[in-house]
Amino acid sequence: MPKRPPITNRVRELRDAHDQMSQAALAKAIGVTRQTVIAIEQGRYSPSLESAFRISRVFGVGLEDVFGWEG
Amino acid sequence: MSFREISAWVMGSILIVAGIYYFKMVAWASSTLGEVSPPVIGFVIAYVVLVVIASAIAMSVLGVANHKEANMAADEREKQVIDKAGHWSGYVMGFGVVTGLLHYAVNQNGNMLFHICFASLMTSQISEYVFQIFLFRRGV
Repeated sequence: MPKRPPITNRVRELRDAHDQMSQAALAKAIGVTRQTVIAIEQGRYSPSLESAFRISRVFGVGLEDVFGWEG
Repeated sequence: MSFREISAWVMGSILIVAGIYYFKMVAWASSTLGEVSPPVIGFVIAYVVLVVIASAIAMSVLGVANHKEANMAADEREKQVIDKAGHWSGYVMGFGVVTGLLHYAVNQNGNMLFHICFASLMTSQISEYVFQIFLFRRGV
């Protein structure tokens, strides 16, 4: 099984805090598929820097408020 | 399940069925001849036509059923999955071809070399879809 990336995220929590934003709505806002948002939330995929910035902009927070380093 | 994962399942299945059909024909021809049959262009054409027609029908049906996703370009994660699966399937192809060449070096059987190389091509393509499914599910 591929090694899980050592990057944590609060995407699920931030979606819930933003009027229960759906995964599909977030996916559309950042230009990826819903499955990619699911993979990010489950920690199976670390997004590119560009997508990470897009996500943080959607929630109106800084990059480090969304993503953290586990290592 | 994403559109691309469904596509991988469908295309992989089509290739497996077509591959089984092709090698059943080759096995039948070989048993009739009593030796490994030479490459029969008719079987190869039948295989290619079967794959092309079945793929076109399947992808059309999938495209109609998932119109929105079908029109979307692969996103960053899907591109990574496709690239990695293609890279790994290249090793499958290489392994098969080297095996065929070693077999030829020892046995000097050109017919078998053709069949091993053709089987490697099929296996490599099937494995690409298998790797895609694996990576879509387990992560890149």
